[in-house]
Amino acid sequence: MPHLDPDRLVDLALFDSAAEPEESAHLDVCAGCRTEIGSLQHVATLGKETEELRDLPAPPESVWAGIAAATAEPVASVRPLPAARTDDGRRRRRRTPKWVPPFLLATAAALVAIAGTVTVVQLVDRPPAAEVTARATLSPLRGAPPAARGDAEVVDDDELRVDVSDLPLTNGYYEVWLIDPDDTSRMQSLGGLPADAEAVLPIPPGTDLRTYRLVDVSAEPHDGNSAHSGDSLLRGTLTS
Amino acid sequence: MSPDQELAEHFRGGDEHALRIAYDRFGGAVLHLAQRVLGNRSDAEDVTQATFVAAWQGRQTFDPDRGSLLSWLLGIARRKAVDRIRTAVRENRITETIRALPEPAAPAETPERIVDRLVVADELAQLPAEQRRTLELAFYDDLTHPQISAVTGLPLGTVKSHIRRGMASLRRRWEVDGAAPGPRPAGRSRTL
Repeated sequence: MPHLDPDRLVDLALFDSAAEPEESAHLDVCAGCRTEIGSLQHVATLGKETEELRDLPAPPESVWAGIAAATAEPVASVRPLPAARTDDGRRRRRRTPKWVPPFLLATAAALVAIAGTVTVVQLVDRPPAAEVTARATLSPLRGAPPAARGDAEVVDDDELRVDVSDLPLTNGYYEVWLIDPDDTSRMQSLGGLPADAEAVLPIPPGTDLRTYRLVDVSAEPHDGNSAHSGDSLLRGTLTS
Repeated sequence: MSPDQELAEHFRGGDEHALRIAYDRFGGAVLHLAQRVLGNRSDAEDVTQATFVAAWQGRQTFDPDRGSLLSWLLGIARRKAVDRIRTAVRENRITETIRALPEPAAPAETPERIVDRLVVADELAQLPAEQRRTLELAFYDDLTHPQISAVTGLPLGTVKSHIRRGMASLRRRWEVDGAAPGPRPAGRSRTL
């Protein structure tokens, strides 16, 4: 009888099929096929034992901190210096090495985000210096304290940076809107805003800032109604 | 060149990104091995740390022709873990370390065996998705070819070929990267 067919070898090794009499007879005399089955059986046994090894937990971040300290080569563990400026005033970008495959990058970036205290290799591109493309000074409307004010800046046409102060206390929250002053029923919500802090809110792609040029900060109750409450506190018009 | 080979190249070349990526990729396996050998979490973390530090410092001795970066790291970790047990015994600090060991290690559960399992698991995780899925059904769920075909909706012939090729990949990896002596032929395995 010829050597056993590869599929049959796997059958015998992995699925515990019983060998046919003529297969047994062949195996008795063929060391090659016996070795094949032996190897495959061993690999199958190992394979069956791998179930507990899926998603092995990562070591705690303290282990990495120790490695980084002990290897102490500048880049792996040292807090990055402020990026140098190039002649054109833009921040020099630190590029991820081309060879780093995306699936590894994703893991590394996620770990960096979790790590927090340990500044690790900067694997992710730093965006170039932001460019302010329009701005607005926000003034209080009737009903808001006279001291309330704010500033808004459009950054790179896709984010609105909003900084407010002295807004009245509210049981609800503040919300930022872009409104078409020519038809104030037309508006876009950009999201919520902390009372005394700067927020950077993404501007939905395709928003025409020449139309939606009125920045509005409203007080919103927690009533589950996503529409504008009508209670505007601050407003200002974007100018380039 | 596979991503892991490329990672190994950069590691050997001293690219500091590669150290962190290798740690992200293989730290869990190294820790698992150390923990299984030492039976003690804190010692296992020490060994994991020492392994990566030693690997980085000795990176130029890594020879990609002799095995993968994973198996090289596991080899370092295995030696460090075993040394640690020996030292503990020698220094008569037997009590804690030994008591912390799992029940008298079953003969099958040598450090080499743990390495082999990790290496096979790593290869399995890298197989093409369908091949991996069919093998997992065979390994973990004890399904036969026709059952796997029914579960996955793949034709029987496809299932057979996935299993045959997947087994061949696992076996090649084990032959190259495994640590335990086992029933393996002297030469290259017959192509399945």
